Amino acid sequence: MIHLSVIALLIRFLLGGVAVVACTIVAKKSGEKVGGIFAAFPAVYLAALLTIGIDFHGGKLVSQSIILSKGAFFGMAINIFVAILAGWLLPKIGWKKGIINAMVCWFIVSIVVVYVTTYLH
Amino acid sequence: MNKQDLFMRFVLGGTAVSLSYIITVFSPWKILAGIFAAFPAVMLTAIIMVGIASGTKKATNIAKGSVYGMIGGIVCVTTVLLSLKETENWILSISTGLVLWLLSSIAISNLKDRAGRKALGHIKKIGNFQ
Repeated sequence: MIHLSVIALLIRFLLGGVAVVACTIVAKKSGEKVGGIFAAFPAVYLAALLTIGIDFHGGKLVSQSIILSKGAFFGMAINIFVAILAGWLLPKIGWKKGIINAMVCWFIVSIVVVYVTTYLH
Repeated sequence: MNKQDLFMRFVLGGTAVSLSYIITVFSPWKILAGIFAAFPAVMLTAIIMVGIASGTKKATNIAKGSVYGMIGGIVCVTTVLLSLKETENWILSISTGLVLWLLSSIAISNLKDRAGRKALGHIKKIGNFQ
């Protein structure tokens, strides 16, 4: 059983934040095409994967990374759905309500996916 | 570059990674941590910032454009997942995931450009007939 460590939490917060900010800066500094590619860099996933390396080593590191990646696979699939939904919803009800509704849908779909994959396996 | 924009991205990115860690430690549903690791922090901040600065129309374009980025993300995660299962080599799997993310993103971007040019050519053709 691992315990929640404040230092590990802080490292994750910093790494996650820096990863997202760094790819934003790369996206803005490069040309339109390269910028668009880097704007979609999976920064949060990679930061989460790298921080597992702080706590685990060897076989445990590989098995924990597999669990995280399985979840992230479903997460990315949900994101494709949410992005399509946002593209359809935003012009209809405005960007503020649109993004709130899209994020609520993201949360509900995520919970449903967790339920289905955990209990109906 | 807008400092407020960067700060918001920093907070959202940091929160998403921290949350996925807290969930890994406490939640019995391990898959939830992965879903939070794929939290669309970059898309969310981009839509909010563009929405505030330029309104709904441009924010919609960001949402539509991010669909392609998410496809690149799924390629990256799938590569890491398959490579981890096959090789059990952590560093090799992450590196392969990154390389395939870059290659698939370039391919998607090129396909998008080609589709855009085709649509433009079609509009020009219609224009010539009129």
